Amino acid sequence: MSDSTMLNLILFLPVIGMALLVPVRSPTLVRQITFWFMVIQFALTVVLYLKFQAGVPGLQFETRLPWIADWGVHYHIGLDGFNVLLVLLTAFLGPLVVAGAFSAIQKDVKLFYAMVFFIQFAMLGTFLAQDLFLFYVFWEAMLIPMFLIIGIWGGERRIYATVKFVLYTAFGSILMLAAIIYLVWSLQQGTGVTSFSFDDLYKHQLPLQAQGWLLAAFALSFAIKVPIVPLHTWLPDAHVEAPTAGSVILAGVLLKMGTYGFIKLGFPLFPQAASAAVEWVMLVAVISIIYGACLALVQTDIKKIIAYSSISHLGYVMLGLASLDLIGIQGAIIQMVSHGLTAAGLFLMVGMIYERCHTRELAAYGGLAKILPVYSVFFMILTLAAIGLPTTSGFTGEFLVLLGAFNSAWPLHVAGNSVPLVMAGLAVTGVVLGAMYMLWFAQRFLYGAVKVPHAPVVDLNARERAILATLVVAVFWLGLFPQEALRKTEVAARQYQQWVDVAAKPVAPTARAADAALQPEAAR
Amino acid sequence: MNWSFMVVAMMPEHLLLIGIAVLIALDVLDVGQRYSALVATAAVLGAALMATLLAIVQFQGSPFPGHFSVDQATLTAKAVVLALTLPLLQLSRDEFGDDERFYILLLSSLYGVLLVSSADGFLTMFLGLEIMSMPVYVLVLLAYKRHEAAEAALKYLVLGGAATAMFLMGASLVYGATGSLALDAFVKAAQAKDTLAVVAVILVLVAFFLKAAVVPFHTWAPDAYEAASVPVTAYMAIVIKAGVLLAVVRIVGMAELGSPLVDLIAILPLISMVWGNLAAMRQTNFRRMIAYSSIAHAGYLFYALLGDGPTRLQAVIFYLLAYGLMNALAFASLPAGPDDARRDRLDALKGLYHRQPYAAILIGIALLSLAGIPPFPGFVAKFLIFKNVIAAGYTLYAVLGLVGSYLGIYFYLRVIQLMFMGSQPEGTPSAGRIAVAAGVLCLVPTIALTVFPGVFITLLGR
Repeated sequence: MSDSTMLNLILFLPVIGMALLVPVRSPTLVRQITFWFMVIQFALTVVLYLKFQAGVPGLQFETRLPWIADWGVHYHIGLDGFNVLLVLLTAFLGPLVVAGAFSAIQKDVKLFYAMVFFIQFAMLGTFLAQDLFLFYVFWEAMLIPMFLIIGIWGGERRIYATVKFVLYTAFGSILMLAAIIYLVWSLQQGTGVTSFSFDDLYKHQLPLQAQGWLLAAFALSFAIKVPIVPLHTWLPDAHVEAPTAGSVILAGVLLKMGTYGFIKLGFPLFPQAASAAVEWVMLVAVISIIYGACLALVQTDIKKIIAYSSISHLGYVMLGLASLDLIGIQGAIIQMVSHGLTAAGLFLMVGMIYERCHTRELAAYGGLAKILPVYSVFFMILTLAAIGLPTTSGFTGEFLVLLGAFNSAWPLHVAGNSVPLVMAGLAVTGVVLGAMYMLWFAQRFLYGAVKVPHAPVVDLNARERAILATLVVAVFWLGLFPQEALRKTEVAARQYQQWVDVAAKPVAPTARAADAALQPEAAR
Repeated sequence: MNWSFMVVAMMPEHLLLIGIAVLIALDVLDVGQRYSALVATAAVLGAALMATLLAIVQFQGSPFPGHFSVDQATLTAKAVVLALTLPLLQLSRDEFGDDERFYILLLSSLYGVLLVSSADGFLTMFLGLEIMSMPVYVLVLLAYKRHEAAEAALKYLVLGGAATAMFLMGASLVYGATGSLALDAFVKAAQAKDTLAVVAVILVLVAFFLKAAVVPFHTWAPDAYEAASVPVTAYMAIVIKAGVLLAVVRIVGMAELGSPLVDLIAILPLISMVWGNLAAMRQTNFRRMIAYSSIAHAGYLFYALLGDGPTRLQAVIFYLLAYGLMNALAFASLPAGPDDARRDRLDALKGLYHRQPYAAILIGIALLSLAGIPPFPGFVAKFLIFKNVIAAGYTLYAVLGLVGSYLGIYFYLRVIQLMFMGSQPEGTPSAGRIAVAAGVLCLVPTIALTVFPGVFITLLGR
């Protein structure tokens, strides 16, 4: 099997799995099929990840077939430095999500796992797509399974939460759709070529004003997904009402769609407008970091604490992207993966305690360390990873982002513009706040007098231990050996940096042309 | 011009006529009524295949110059309309299986649709529109199940009559302004600036707005849709709407639209999208909701006219194909109920997934597609229309239209929410038969359109 065939197989395994589920009647068999399909998918993804060559610009394991020939739409997928880690993360979380739901989901089991397959397909497709039309199809298709997952298996206010989720995200997408059509049309006007290919669209130069409008439309869509304050209000509702699997998918992968959209599409497609907006992006990133952290501090619902912490953590990703510093950009990519691991782990753990005690009120718990030692150890590790303790993935991400932010802010400060420096400084307070709310949360949750709403509570079973152990290994892997991941994303980060940063300077066209000449497939 | 050419050029129409004749014979002789559906299906299938065949061999010509002509595009349009009728015929077998009157009326109306899509002059167009509409007034009342049906049919008849009168008046004013009854006189009149021509253009447009149920001329549609039985509602929502839009495309043709005409064509449909989608949120009956949905979709379809000349017919046909298929799929999958009024209530769909999972999934796919959510065909159809609108330079109208279509997402989702998330109300009958044949007839092309939209677009674009 050639490598590009394998990539297609990875993408379409969930579809095959969904078809296989149709005739199956036994819920146990449904769970087994889904689990093993996800495991196979992850195994294949690891193989491709290991084969993925660092230091080579452009796409690897590419497939490009005409899909809607008249419009120049292609089925075009491939791995590059931008998506390789996120695809790995998605495939990694797949089996964990499925295994985590074995006991929690007892209603409409078949539909549930079919929807998990569906969303896995749509998420991988969004990351892998190299054609704007294909990207949009996958991007929007994600709404359908998520709508059902929250709406059918969610908590009490699930209908409200899921409708809010869909209406928020669909509003962003509809304006992005208008922008996509306009962008492709202007490419056709300029060059006579009708194409939705990312490569063609990157090369297309638009006037600054048009770039501004289009970037605004794309950014709105992505910012709702991230979410960036003040567009975040759907997130706490969706997280709180979603079943554990839904929260894990949301926090683990879905939120990264927004930041991935910025790094892969939003900023590189409209470089001049993006570099003009960089300081504003930094500002909203810092607001997200601090505001999310402050809100997390005062929550009484366990799930809400983690939901708001997601807003704060994704603020770092935006800060890294806006720093336009190589280290900061790479930090942002690592931070995406790290947050995917820790938030997924924390949501899984909240789900586990909820299955036992049926409440998410923080005040109902206390001193769990005494009665649930294994649970508490895992919880503490993930908490420390979330606040960025060295040797965990959270440290790698946050540290690199802040380093990058200062790296880029200092020369500007010397040149007389101190605004970025102040923002980078403010972002550091987010780390302190993060440690505050997470440790305070852990203290009230795990220590103090023993208090459980539903005694006796049993500790984690073997399945749950295996799930969490896998996650913890990944957290340490990314914390101790980030070099491998950094090497594989370096070329992409450099490319992003050159496109967006160089665009700010008058020599832009030649620099971009030179950059394009380096890429073998850009010349095609 | 020889006879064989005339026979071949109008072969789809002739096949329908033969079908009508056979059905009338069955009626008069009082034999074999139970074959009515079969005869009608055979006639429509034959006509569809014939139209497809003629389109493939790129048949072209005008058997009645100045009145009736066919080319590849019109033949494709006919093939699509005829193919969309097939699931409806399947759907009608439960209710009208041995009622030859239903099939005679339906085929007559279909004949009108075919005539309209080939018309070259206002006379043929008028003839086609009337042949298309008249039988439907009766169809609404046929086998009526509620007392309101009479009122709805009368309302439909009166407003349909008003539309006819306006069309005739407009056509005569167009003749007065340009001295011609050929269809291209309409665009000439639209470009002229004198009052007579402006009034003529507005009258003709309003006639079409009335027939296509564009706001504010839409009030007949919810009543008529609700009162008619399911196959008739589906026929009105799909085929009649297709006929009206094909007529409009025929009239506007390839001409470049000037500034006043564009705004006339764009503004009411835009309001239609917004109003249709908003009003649909408040409905408690399935057919009334579909009526408002079709009011919104009439808006998108008129938007296709904003595109450049050659793209219009392609966009309209593709949209009609996707939209018609999805409506047919939804109607075919609708579960049976104890009586018509209760079957029609949205509440009857509550918890449908637990009773009939496949029906729920099919209705869900149909509604998501109507909402324009990818990967379903409704998205590609909408994309095609808005792409053409932007390419023609009307970016603002496109953005407003897209926002209008966004408003529609909520009420489609609400039905899905009822089907999948609602618990089954007590005392609901556990199951009823769904029109499996009709569902499968729609599902296969739906999957084909989802996976390979490009093939269809290329076919329609030739």
